[in-house]
Amino acid sequence: MAELLVQQLVNWITLGCIYALLAIGFSLIFGVLNVIHFSHGDVAMTAPFIALALVQGSMAVVGVTGPAWLLLAVVVAVLAVGVIGIALDKIVIRRFRDAPAMMALVATVALGIVIRELIRHLYPQGSNPHAFPRLVSGMAFEVAGVSVSWFALLVVAITAILVTLLFVFLRMTALGLRIRAASEDRVVARMMGIRDSRVFRATFFIASAIGAIAGLLFASYAGVTRFDFGVMAGLLGFSAAVIGGLGSMPGAILGGLIIAGIEVLAQTFVPDGASYRLVFVFLLVIAVLIFRPAGLLGRTVMEKV
Amino acid sequence: MLELNDVDTAYGAVPMLRNVVMSVQAGELVCLLGPNGAGKTTTFMTVCGVVRAQRGKVSVMGKDIAVLGTENLASLGVGLVPEGRRLFPGLTVLENLRLGYDAVSARGPNFEPQLEKMCALFPRIRERLRQLAGTLSGGEQAMVALARALIGEPKLVIMDEPSLGLSPKLIGEYFEITQEIHRRGTTILLIEQNAEMGLSIADRGYVLVKGKVAQEGPAKELLSSKVAKSLYL
Repeated sequence: MAELLVQQLVNWITLGCIYALLAIGFSLIFGVLNVIHFSHGDVAMTAPFIALALVQGSMAVVGVTGPAWLLLAVVVAVLAVGVIGIALDKIVIRRFRDAPAMMALVATVALGIVIRELIRHLYPQGSNPHAFPRLVSGMAFEVAGVSVSWFALLVVAITAILVTLLFVFLRMTALGLRIRAASEDRVVARMMGIRDSRVFRATFFIASAIGAIAGLLFASYAGVTRFDFGVMAGLLGFSAAVIGGLGSMPGAILGGLIIAGIEVLAQTFVPDGASYRLVFVFLLVIAVLIFRPAGLLGRTVMEKV
Repeated sequence: MLELNDVDTAYGAVPMLRNVVMSVQAGELVCLLGPNGAGKTTTFMTVCGVVRAQRGKVSVMGKDIAVLGTENLASLGVGLVPEGRRLFPGLTVLENLRLGYDAVSARGPNFEPQLEKMCALFPRIRERLRQLAGTLSGGEQAMVALARALIGEPKLVIMDEPSLGLSPKLIGEYFEITQEIHRRGTTILLIEQNAEMGLSIADRGYVLVKGKVAQEGPAKELLSSKVAKSLYL
Protein backbone atom coordinates (compact mmCIF):
# COMPACT_ATOMS: atom_id res chain seq x y z
CA MET A 1 0.00 0.00 0.00
CA ALA A 2 2.82 2.41 0.93
CA GLU A 3 4.51 1.68 -2.38
CA LEU A 4 1.31 2.40 -4.26
CA LEU A 5 0.84 5.70 -2.43
CA VAL A 6 4.41 6.82 -3.10
CA GLN A 7 4.10 5.82 -6.74
CA GLN A 8 0.87 7.80 -7.08
CA LEU A 9 2.44 10.75 -5.27
CA VAL A 10 5.20 10.81 -7.89
CA ASN A 11 2.63 10.54 -10.71
CA TRP A 12 0.54 13.30 -9.12
CA ILE A 13 3.42 15.75 -8.87
CA THR A 14 4.66 14.99 -12.39
CA LEU A 15 1.25 15.37 -13.99
CA GLY A 16 0.37 18.35 -11.76
CA CYS A 17 3.47 20.21 -12.94
CA ILE A 18 2.58 19.62 -16.61
CA TYR A 19 -1.00 20.84 -16.09
CA ALA A 20 0.28 23.83 -14.13
CA LEU A 21 2.52 24.85 -17.04
CA LEU A 22 -0.45 24.60 -19.41
CA ALA A 23 -2.61 26.60 -17.01
CA ILE A 24 0.02 29.34 -16.65
CA GLY A 25 -0.30 30.10 -20.37
CA PHE A 26 -4.08 30.41 -20.13
CA SER A 27 -3.80 32.60 -17.04
CA LEU A 28 -1.11 34.84 -18.47
CA ILE A 29 -3.04 35.51 -21.68
CA PHE A 30 -6.33 36.00 -19.86
CA GLY A 31 -4.68 38.26 -17.27
CA VAL A 32 -3.24 40.59 -19.90
CA LEU A 33 -5.79 40.43 -22.72
CA ASN A 34 -8.95 39.37 -20.90
CA VAL A 35 -9.32 36.75 -23.63
CA ILE A 36 -9.68 33.01 -23.07
CA HIS A 37 -7.36 31.58 -25.68
CA PHE A 38 -9.10 28.25 -26.26
CA SER A 39 -6.60 27.15 -28.89
CA HIS A 40 -3.72 27.40 -26.39
CA GLY A 41 -3.78 23.61 -25.87
CA ASP A 42 -3.52 23.03 -29.62
CA VAL A 43 -0.71 25.59 -29.92
CA ALA A 44 1.12 23.79 -27.10
CA MET A 45 0.70 20.38 -28.74
CA THR A 46 2.24 21.54 -32.02
CA ALA A 47 5.60 21.49 -30.19
CA PRO A 48 5.96 17.68 -30.08
CA PHE A 49 5.17 17.52 -33.81
CA ILE A 50 7.74 20.19 -34.62
CA ALA A 51 10.33 18.38 -32.48
CA LEU A 52 9.51 15.02 -34.09
CA ALA A 53 9.70 16.52 -37.57
CA LEU A 54 13.10 18.02 -36.78
CA VAL A 55 14.47 14.77 -35.34
CA GLN A 56 13.17 12.73 -38.27
CA GLY A 57 14.28 15.39 -40.73
CA SER A 58 17.81 15.45 -39.29
CA MET A 59 17.96 11.68 -39.53
CA ALA A 60 16.79 11.70 -43.14
CA VAL A 61 18.99 14.58 -44.28
CA VAL A 62 22.14 14.38 -42.14
CA GLY A 63 21.75 10.78 -41.08
CA VAL A 64 22.40 11.48 -37.40
CA THR A 65 20.24 11.41 -34.33
CA GLY A 66 20.71 11.15 -30.58
CA PRO A 67 20.12 13.04 -27.33
CA ALA A 68 21.88 16.20 -28.56
CA TRP A 69 19.69 16.36 -31.67
CA LEU A 70 16.60 15.74 -29.56
CA LEU A 71 17.59 18.56 -27.21
CA LEU A 72 18.21 20.88 -30.14
CA ALA A 73 14.85 19.90 -31.68
CA VAL A 74 13.09 20.59 -28.38
CA VAL A 75 14.68 24.05 -28.06
CA VAL A 76 13.79 24.93 -31.67
CA ALA A 77 10.23 23.64 -31.14
CA VAL A 78 9.76 25.80 -28.04
CA LEU A 79 11.03 28.93 -29.81
CA ALA A 80 8.97 28.13 -32.92
CA VAL A 81 5.78 27.71 -30.91
CA GLY A 82 6.51 31.02 -29.15
CA VAL A 83 6.69 32.68 -32.57
CA ILE A 84 3.53 30.83 -33.71
CA GLY A 85 1.78 32.27 -30.64
CA ILE A 86 2.78 35.82 -31.66
CA ALA A 87 1.66 35.17 -35.24
CA LEU A 88 -1.74 33.83 -34.16
CA ASP A 89 -2.27 36.93 -32.02
CA LYS A 90 -1.30 39.19 -34.88
CA ILE A 91 -3.38 37.40 -37.50
CA VAL A 92 -6.47 36.44 -35.49
CA ILE A 93 -6.75 37.19 -31.79
CA ARG A 94 -5.87 40.90 -31.74
CA ARG A 95 -8.84 41.59 -34.02
CA PHE A 96 -11.15 40.55 -31.18
CA ARG A 97 -9.43 42.51 -28.39
CA ASP A 98 -12.20 45.04 -28.03
CA ALA A 99 -14.99 42.79 -29.30
CA PRO A 100 -17.53 40.98 -27.09
CA ALA A 101 -15.93 38.03 -25.23
CA MET A 102 -18.12 35.55 -27.13
CA MET A 103 -16.51 36.50 -30.45
CA ALA A 104 -12.98 35.93 -29.17
CA LEU A 105 -14.10 32.64 -27.67
CA VAL A 106 -15.59 31.35 -30.93
CA ALA A 107 -12.57 32.60 -32.89
CA THR A 108 -10.08 30.82 -30.64
CA VAL A 109 -12.12 27.58 -30.66
CA ALA A 110 -12.15 27.75 -34.48
CA LEU A 111 -8.43 28.47 -34.47
CA GLY A 112 -7.84 25.30 -32.46
CA ILE A 113 -9.71 23.26 -35.06
CA VAL A 114 -7.65 24.83 -37.84
CA ILE A 115 -4.39 23.99 -36.03
CA ARG A 116 -5.46 20.37 -35.41
CA GLU A 117 -6.56 19.83 -38.99
CA LEU A 118 -3.37 21.40 -40.35
CA ILE A 119 -1.28 19.00 -38.25
CA ARG A 120 -3.43 16.08 -39.40
CA HIS A 121 -3.07 16.91 -43.07
CA LEU A 122 0.45 18.32 -43.22
CA TYR A 123 2.27 15.86 -40.93
CA PRO A 124 2.98 12.49 -42.57
CA GLN A 125 0.29 10.04 -41.42
CA GLY A 126 -1.02 12.83 -39.25
CA SER A 127 -4.18 10.99 -38.18
CA ASN A 128 -2.17 8.25 -36.47
CA PRO A 129 -0.57 8.40 -33.02
CA HIS A 130 3.19 8.98 -33.15
CA ALA A 131 5.59 7.61 -30.59
CA PHE A 132 7.36 10.39 -28.70
CA PRO A 133 10.61 9.63 -26.85
CA ARG A 134 11.21 10.16 -23.13
CA LEU A 135 13.28 13.31 -22.87
CA VAL A 136 15.38 11.57 -20.24
CA SER A 137 15.28 7.92 -19.26
CA GLY A 138 16.30 5.80 -16.29
CA MET A 139 15.65 5.84 -12.56
CA ALA A 140 17.14 8.51 -10.33
CA PHE A 141 16.62 7.03 -6.86
CA GLU A 142 14.33 4.84 -4.80
CA VAL A 143 11.86 5.91 -2.08
CA ALA A 144 9.93 3.31 -0.02
CA GLY A 145 10.60 0.72 -2.67
CA VAL A 146 9.43 2.97 -5.49
CA SER A 147 11.83 4.10 -8.19
CA VAL A 148 11.62 7.78 -9.05
CA SER A 149 12.49 8.43 -12.68
CA TRP A 150 14.80 11.12 -13.99
CA PHE A 151 11.88 12.23 -16.12
CA ALA A 152 9.75 12.99 -13.02
CA LEU A 153 12.65 14.99 -11.57
CA LEU A 154 13.13 16.79 -14.88
CA VAL A 155 9.46 17.81 -14.98
CA VAL A 156 9.56 19.15 -11.41
CA ALA A 157 12.87 20.95 -12.01
CA ILE A 158 11.69 22.54 -15.28
CA THR A 159 8.44 23.68 -13.65
CA ALA A 160 10.23 25.15 -10.65
CA ILE A 161 12.75 26.96 -12.88
CA LEU A 162 10.09 28.31 -15.26
CA VAL A 163 7.84 29.51 -12.45
CA THR A 164 10.78 31.21 -10.74
CA LEU A 165 11.96 32.82 -13.98
CA LEU A 166 8.44 34.00 -14.78
CA PHE A 167 8.07 35.46 -11.29
CA VAL A 168 11.41 37.26 -11.52
CA PHE A 169 10.59 38.50 -15.03
CA LEU A 170 7.18 39.87 -14.05
CA ARG A 171 8.34 41.40 -10.75
CA MET A 172 11.81 42.65 -11.51
CA THR A 173 12.07 43.72 -15.13
CA ALA A 174 10.74 46.81 -16.91
CA LEU A 175 8.85 44.71 -19.46
CA GLY A 176 7.38 42.56 -16.69
CA LEU A 177 6.16 45.69 -14.90
CA ARG A 178 4.56 46.93 -18.11
CA ILE A 179 2.84 43.59 -18.67
CA ARG A 180 1.43 43.71 -15.12
CA ALA A 181 0.29 47.31 -15.63
CA ALA A 182 -1.42 46.48 -18.93
CA SER A 183 -3.14 43.51 -17.30
CA GLU A 184 -4.64 45.89 -14.70
CA ASP A 185 -5.75 48.78 -16.92
CA ARG A 186 -4.90 48.83 -20.62
CA VAL A 187 -6.16 52.37 -21.22
CA VAL A 188 -4.11 53.91 -18.42
CA ALA A 189 -1.15 51.75 -19.41
CA ARG A 190 -1.28 53.45 -22.82
CA MET A 191 -1.40 56.82 -21.08
CA MET A 192 1.83 55.76 -19.33
CA GLY A 193 3.48 55.26 -22.72
CA ILE A 194 3.11 51.47 -22.71
CA ARG A 195 2.63 50.08 -26.20
CA ASP A 196 -0.07 47.40 -26.36
CA SER A 197 1.59 45.61 -29.24
CA ARG A 198 4.88 45.03 -27.36
CA VAL A 199 3.10 43.82 -24.25
CA PHE A 200 0.91 41.43 -26.26
CA ARG A 201 3.87 40.13 -28.27
CA ALA A 202 5.83 39.37 -25.14
CA THR A 203 2.81 37.80 -23.43
CA PHE A 204 1.99 35.53 -26.36
CA PHE A 205 5.59 34.47 -26.81
CA ILE A 206 6.05 33.60 -23.14
CA ALA A 207 2.65 31.87 -22.77
CA SER A 208 3.06 29.87 -25.99
CA ALA A 209 6.67 28.89 -25.25
CA ILE A 210 5.73 27.71 -21.74
CA GLY A 211 2.78 25.88 -23.32
CA ALA A 212 5.18 24.27 -25.79
CA ILE A 213 7.34 22.99 -22.93
CA ALA A 214 4.19 21.59 -21.29
CA GLY A 215 3.20 20.00 -24.62
CA LEU A 216 6.60 18.35 -24.98
CA LEU A 217 6.50 17.05 -21.42
CA PHE A 218 2.91 15.85 -21.92
CA ALA A 219 3.87 13.89 -25.05
CA SER A 220 6.98 12.57 -23.37
CA TYR A 221 4.98 11.50 -20.29
CA ALA A 222 2.40 9.71 -22.46
CA GLY A 223 5.11 8.33 -24.77
CA VAL A 224 2.96 9.28 -27.73
CA THR A 225 1.46 12.32 -29.42
CA ARG A 226 -1.56 12.75 -31.65
CA PHE A 227 -2.97 15.62 -33.67
CA ASP A 228 -5.97 15.99 -31.32
CA PHE A 229 -4.10 15.86 -28.00
CA GLY A 230 -4.43 19.63 -27.91
CA VAL A 231 -8.14 19.35 -27.12
CA MET A 232 -7.54 17.46 -23.89
CA ALA A 233 -4.42 19.46 -23.03
CA GLY A 234 -6.41 22.64 -23.55
CA LEU A 235 -9.39 21.50 -21.51
CA LEU A 236 -7.22 20.32 -18.62
CA GLY A 237 -5.01 23.42 -18.68
CA PHE A 238 -8.00 25.72 -18.90
CA SER A 239 -9.79 23.83 -16.10
CA ALA A 240 -6.71 24.12 -13.91
CA ALA A 241 -6.58 27.86 -14.57
CA VAL A 242 -10.31 28.23 -13.79
CA ILE A 243 -10.06 26.24 -10.55
CA GLY A 244 -7.05 28.27 -9.39
CA GLY A 245 -8.48 31.57 -10.65
CA LEU A 246 -7.95 32.82 -14.20
CA GLY A 247 -5.22 35.43 -14.25
CA SER A 248 -3.52 34.13 -11.08
CA MET A 249 -0.13 32.45 -11.44
CA PRO A 250 -0.20 30.75 -8.01
CA GLY A 251 -3.79 29.78 -8.85
CA ALA A 252 -2.67 28.13 -12.09
CA ILE A 253 -0.11 26.03 -10.20
CA LEU A 254 -2.62 25.10 -7.50
CA GLY A 255 -5.26 24.26 -10.12
CA GLY A 256 -2.82 22.05 -12.02
CA LEU A 257 -1.93 20.14 -8.86
CA ILE A 258 -5.60 19.75 -7.85
CA ILE A 259 -6.66 18.41 -11.25
CA ALA A 260 -3.75 15.99 -11.39
CA GLY A 261 -4.52 14.95 -7.80
CA ILE A 262 -8.13 14.12 -8.67
CA GLU A 263 -7.04 12.17 -11.75
CA VAL A 264 -4.52 10.14 -9.78
CA LEU A 265 -6.91 9.54 -6.84
CA ALA A 266 -9.68 8.41 -9.19
CA GLN A 267 -7.34 6.02 -10.98
CA THR A 268 -6.05 4.61 -7.69
CA PHE A 269 -9.14 4.29 -5.53
CA VAL A 270 -12.18 4.18 -7.83
CA PRO A 271 -12.94 0.90 -9.65
CA ASP A 272 -12.33 1.52 -13.35
CA GLY A 273 -11.32 5.02 -12.25
CA ALA A 274 -9.13 5.60 -15.31
CA SER A 275 -12.29 5.77 -17.43
CA TYR A 276 -14.03 8.12 -14.99
CA ARG A 277 -11.15 10.37 -14.02
CA LEU A 278 -12.24 13.23 -16.27
CA VAL A 279 -15.79 13.02 -14.90
CA PHE A 280 -14.42 13.86 -11.44
CA VAL A 281 -12.18 16.60 -12.81
CA PHE A 282 -14.95 18.39 -14.67
CA LEU A 283 -17.43 17.95 -11.81
CA LEU A 284 -14.96 19.91 -9.72
CA VAL A 285 -14.72 22.57 -12.44
CA ILE A 286 -18.52 22.92 -12.38
CA ALA A 287 -18.54 23.10 -8.58
CA VAL A 288 -15.88 25.82 -8.57
CA LEU A 289 -17.77 27.82 -11.21
CA ILE A 290 -20.94 27.60 -9.09
CA PHE A 291 -19.54 28.24 -5.63
CA ARG A 292 -16.39 30.26 -6.33
CA PRO A 293 -16.55 31.71 -9.85
CA ALA A 294 -13.34 33.68 -9.42
CA GLY A 295 -11.45 30.46 -8.62
CA LEU A 296 -9.65 29.48 -5.44
CA LEU A 297 -6.99 32.20 -5.63
CA GLY A 298 -8.60 34.55 -8.16
CA ARG A 299 -9.77 38.08 -7.48
CA THR A 300 -13.46 38.82 -7.77
CA VAL A 301 -14.00 41.51 -10.38
CA MET A 302 -17.08 43.69 -10.20
CA GLU A 303 -18.32 44.33 -13.71
CA LYS A 304 -19.94 47.71 -14.35
CA VAL A 305 -23.25 47.28 -16.18
CA MET B 1 0.29 73.38 -26.22
CA LEU B 2 -3.22 72.00 -26.61
CA GLU B 3 -5.80 72.87 -29.20
CA LEU B 4 -9.25 71.53 -29.99
CA ASN B 5 -10.49 72.82 -33.29
CA ASP B 6 -14.21 72.33 -34.01
CA VAL B 7 -14.22 68.88 -32.43
CA ASP B 8 -17.19 66.52 -32.53
CA THR B 9 -17.11 63.25 -30.58
CA ALA B 10 -19.76 60.55 -30.21
CA TYR B 11 -20.19 57.23 -28.43
CA GLY B 12 -21.83 55.20 -31.17
CA ALA B 13 -24.84 57.17 -32.29
CA VAL B 14 -24.89 59.35 -29.16
CA PRO B 15 -23.21 62.71 -29.77
CA MET B 16 -21.05 63.83 -26.84
CA LEU B 17 -19.05 66.88 -27.98
CA ARG B 18 -20.18 69.34 -30.61
CA ASN B 19 -18.06 72.02 -32.26
CA VAL B 20 -15.74 72.27 -29.28
CA VAL B 21 -13.07 74.91 -29.73
CA MET B 22 -10.58 75.47 -26.94
CA SER B 23 -6.87 75.96 -26.36
CA VAL B 24 -4.28 75.94 -23.63
CA GLN B 25 -1.17 78.09 -24.12
CA ALA B 26 2.22 77.47 -22.51
CA GLY B 27 2.33 78.60 -18.88
CA GLU B 28 -1.44 78.77 -18.45
CA LEU B 29 -3.68 77.06 -15.94
CA VAL B 30 -6.96 76.57 -17.75
CA CYS B 31 -10.04 75.18 -16.08
CA LEU B 32 -12.71 73.27 -18.02
CA LEU B 33 -15.96 73.29 -16.08
CA GLY B 34 -19.25 71.56 -16.58
CA PRO B 35 -22.05 69.75 -14.77
CA ASN B 36 -22.43 65.95 -14.81
CA GLY B 37 -22.87 64.63 -18.33
CA ALA B 38 -21.57 67.82 -19.96
CA GLY B 39 -18.78 65.89 -21.71
CA LYS B 40 -15.81 66.74 -19.50
CA THR B 41 -14.40 63.22 -19.32
CA THR B 42 -15.15 62.72 -23.02
CA THR B 43 -13.05 65.84 -23.65
CA PHE B 44 -10.23 64.31 -21.56
CA MET B 45 -10.48 61.02 -23.44
CA THR B 46 -10.58 62.80 -26.80
CA VAL B 47 -7.54 64.91 -25.94
CA CYS B 48 -5.71 61.72 -24.89
CA GLY B 49 -6.65 59.96 -28.12
CA VAL B 50 -8.53 57.20 -26.30
CA VAL B 51 -11.74 58.40 -27.97
CA ARG B 52 -11.43 59.47 -31.60
CA ALA B 53 -12.82 62.81 -32.68
CA GLN B 54 -15.36 62.30 -35.46
CA ARG B 55 -14.77 65.74 -36.83
CA GLY B 56 -12.25 68.50 -36.22
CA LYS B 57 -8.69 68.23 -34.99
CA VAL B 58 -7.04 67.79 -31.60
CA SER B 59 -3.43 68.97 -31.44
CA VAL B 60 -1.24 68.22 -28.45
CA MET B 61 2.19 69.86 -28.38
CA GLY B 62 1.63 70.76 -32.02
CA LYS B 63 0.89 67.19 -33.13
CA ASP B 64 -2.36 65.67 -34.29
CA ILE B 65 -3.44 63.19 -31.59
CA ALA B 66 -5.10 60.96 -34.23
CA VAL B 67 -1.65 60.40 -35.75
CA LEU B 68 0.32 60.59 -32.51
CA GLY B 69 -1.58 57.97 -30.45
CA THR B 70 -2.16 57.87 -26.70
CA GLU B 71 1.04 55.98 -25.93
CA ASN B 72 3.25 58.76 -27.35
CA LEU B 73 1.79 61.57 -25.23
CA ALA B 74 3.98 60.91 -22.22
CA SER B 75 7.21 61.05 -24.20
CA LEU B 76 6.15 64.46 -25.56
CA GLY B 77 5.95 65.72 -21.99
CA VAL B 78 2.25 65.32 -21.23
CA GLY B 79 1.29 64.01 -17.78
CA LEU B 80 -2.22 62.63 -17.32
CA VAL B 81 -4.39 62.25 -14.23
CA PRO B 82 -7.50 60.32 -15.31
CA GLU B 83 -10.87 60.51 -13.56
CA GLY B 84 -11.09 58.31 -10.48
CA ARG B 85 -7.26 58.33 -10.21
CA ARG B 86 -7.04 54.93 -11.93
CA LEU B 87 -3.84 53.81 -10.27
CA PHE B 88 -2.77 50.25 -11.00
CA PRO B 89 -4.25 48.76 -7.82
CA GLY B 90 -2.24 45.54 -7.79
CA LEU B 91 1.05 47.38 -8.22
CA THR B 92 2.87 49.11 -5.39
CA VAL B 93 2.99 52.89 -5.12
CA LEU B 94 6.67 52.74 -6.10
CA GLU B 95 5.83 50.70 -9.22
CA ASN B 96 3.07 53.13 -10.18
CA LEU B 97 5.55 56.00 -9.89
CA ARG B 98 8.20 54.08 -11.81
CA LEU B 99 5.77 53.62 -14.70
CA GLY B 100 5.02 57.36 -14.65
CA TYR B 101 8.74 58.09 -14.78
CA ASP B 102 9.54 55.52 -17.48
CA ALA B 103 6.71 56.91 -19.59
CA VAL B 104 8.56 60.20 -19.99
CA SER B 105 12.21 59.34 -19.59
CA ALA B 106 14.11 56.43 -20.98
CA ARG B 107 14.97 54.12 -18.08
CA GLY B 108 17.85 56.01 -16.54
CA PRO B 109 19.65 56.77 -13.32
CA ASN B 110 17.55 59.81 -12.48
CA PHE B 111 14.55 58.05 -11.00
CA GLU B 112 15.74 58.28 -7.38
CA PRO B 113 16.14 62.09 -7.32
CA GLN B 114 12.74 62.48 -8.99
CA LEU B 115 11.18 60.11 -6.49
CA GLU B 116 12.73 62.17 -3.71
CA LYS B 117 11.17 65.31 -5.19
CA MET B 118 7.74 63.68 -5.25
CA CYS B 119 8.12 62.51 -1.66
CA ALA B 120 9.01 66.09 -0.66
CA LEU B 121 5.94 67.42 -2.48
CA PHE B 122 3.65 64.68 -1.12
CA PRO B 123 5.17 63.63 2.22
CA ARG B 124 2.50 60.97 2.85
CA ILE B 125 3.69 59.00 -0.19
CA ARG B 126 7.08 58.19 1.34
CA GLU B 127 5.74 55.77 3.94
CA ARG B 128 3.43 54.12 1.41
CA LEU B 129 5.96 53.33 -1.32
CA ARG B 130 5.90 49.53 -0.77
CA GLN B 131 2.13 49.40 -0.27
CA LEU B 132 -0.25 48.22 -3.01
CA ALA B 133 -1.89 51.27 -4.59
CA GLY B 134 -5.33 49.69 -4.30
CA THR B 135 -5.06 49.65 -0.51
CA LEU B 136 -4.52 53.43 -0.18
CA SER B 137 -7.20 55.86 0.98
CA GLY B 138 -8.91 58.07 -1.63
CA GLY B 139 -6.82 61.08 -0.65
CA GLU B 140 -3.58 59.14 -0.84
CA GLN B 141 -4.56 57.69 -4.20
CA ALA B 142 -5.23 61.22 -5.49
CA MET B 143 -1.74 62.31 -4.40
CA VAL B 144 -0.07 59.24 -5.97
CA ALA B 145 -1.99 59.77 -9.23
CA LEU B 146 -0.75 63.37 -9.37
CA ALA B 147 2.78 62.33 -8.41
CA ARG B 148 2.71 59.66 -11.15
CA ALA B 149 1.84 62.34 -13.70
CA LEU B 150 4.47 64.77 -12.38
CA ILE B 151 7.45 62.49 -11.74
CA GLY B 152 8.67 62.72 -15.33
CA GLU B 153 8.58 66.55 -15.15
CA PRO B 154 5.96 67.03 -17.88
CA LYS B 155 5.44 70.33 -19.63
CA LEU B 156 1.66 69.91 -19.71
CA VAL B 157 -0.52 68.17 -17.11
CA ILE B 158 -4.15 67.29 -17.83
CA MET B 159 -6.26 66.40 -14.79
CA ASP B 160 -9.77 64.99 -14.97
CA GLU B 161 -11.88 65.80 -11.89
CA PRO B 162 -9.08 65.27 -9.37
CA SER B 163 -11.19 66.58 -6.46
CA LEU B 164 -13.94 63.99 -6.97
CA GLY B 165 -14.56 62.05 -3.75
CA LEU B 166 -12.08 64.01 -1.65
CA SER B 167 -12.93 65.66 1.68
CA PRO B 168 -13.09 69.50 1.68
CA LYS B 169 -9.79 69.63 3.60
CA LEU B 170 -8.06 67.41 1.07
CA ILE B 171 -9.56 69.34 -1.84
CA GLY B 172 -8.01 72.51 -0.45
CA GLU B 173 -4.65 70.80 -0.04
CA TYR B 174 -4.87 69.33 -3.55
CA PHE B 175 -5.61 72.69 -5.18
CA GLU B 176 -2.75 74.33 -3.26
CA ILE B 177 -0.37 71.72 -4.67
CA THR B 178 -1.82 72.20 -8.17
CA GLN B 179 -1.24 75.94 -7.87
CA GLU B 180 2.31 75.35 -6.67
CA ILE B 181 3.03 73.08 -9.66
CA HIS B 182 1.69 75.77 -11.97
CA ARG B 183 3.83 78.42 -10.28
CA ARG B 184 6.90 76.27 -11.01
CA GLY B 185 6.12 76.60 -14.72
CA THR B 186 3.95 73.60 -15.61
CA THR B 187 1.04 74.23 -17.96
CA ILE B 188 -2.18 72.71 -16.62
CA LEU B 189 -5.59 71.84 -18.00
CA LEU B 190 -7.81 71.21 -14.99
CA ILE B 191 -11.12 69.54 -15.77
CA GLU B 192 -13.34 70.17 -12.77
CA GLN B 193 -16.87 70.18 -11.48
CA ASN B 194 -15.96 72.23 -8.43
CA ALA B 195 -16.23 75.57 -10.23
CA GLU B 196 -15.38 77.85 -7.33
CA MET B 197 -12.19 76.01 -6.42
CA GLY B 198 -11.18 75.45 -10.04
CA LEU B 199 -11.67 79.04 -11.16
CA SER B 200 -10.02 80.41 -7.99
CA ILE B 201 -6.64 79.09 -9.16
CA ALA B 202 -7.12 79.23 -12.97
CA ASP B 203 -6.06 81.90 -15.46
CA ARG B 204 -8.85 81.15 -17.89
CA GLY B 205 -11.84 78.87 -18.06
CA TYR B 206 -14.31 77.18 -20.36
CA VAL B 207 -17.83 76.15 -19.40
CA LEU B 208 -19.06 73.03 -21.14
CA VAL B 209 -22.81 72.40 -21.28
CA LYS B 210 -24.34 69.44 -23.12
CA GLY B 211 -21.16 68.90 -25.12
CA LYS B 212 -20.81 72.51 -26.26
CA VAL B 213 -18.66 75.36 -24.98
CA ALA B 214 -21.29 77.66 -23.48
CA GLN B 215 -18.90 80.28 -22.15
CA GLU B 216 -15.20 81.08 -21.97
CA GLY B 217 -13.02 83.79 -20.60
CA PRO B 218 -10.71 84.88 -17.79
CA ALA B 219 -11.34 82.93 -14.59
CA LYS B 220 -12.29 86.05 -12.60
CA GLU B 221 -14.94 86.99 -15.15
CA LEU B 222 -16.35 83.49 -15.21
CA LEU B 223 -16.53 83.40 -11.43
CA SER B 224 -18.89 86.36 -11.52
CA SER B 225 -20.77 85.39 -14.68
CA LYS B 226 -24.43 84.50 -14.47
CA VAL B 227 -24.11 81.39 -16.64
CA ALA B 228 -21.39 79.85 -14.51
CA LYS B 229 -23.12 80.85 -11.28
CA SER B 230 -26.45 79.41 -12.36
CA LEU B 231 -24.76 76.15 -13.22
CA TYR B 232 -22.65 75.55 -10.13
CA LEU B 233 -22.19 78.05 -7.46
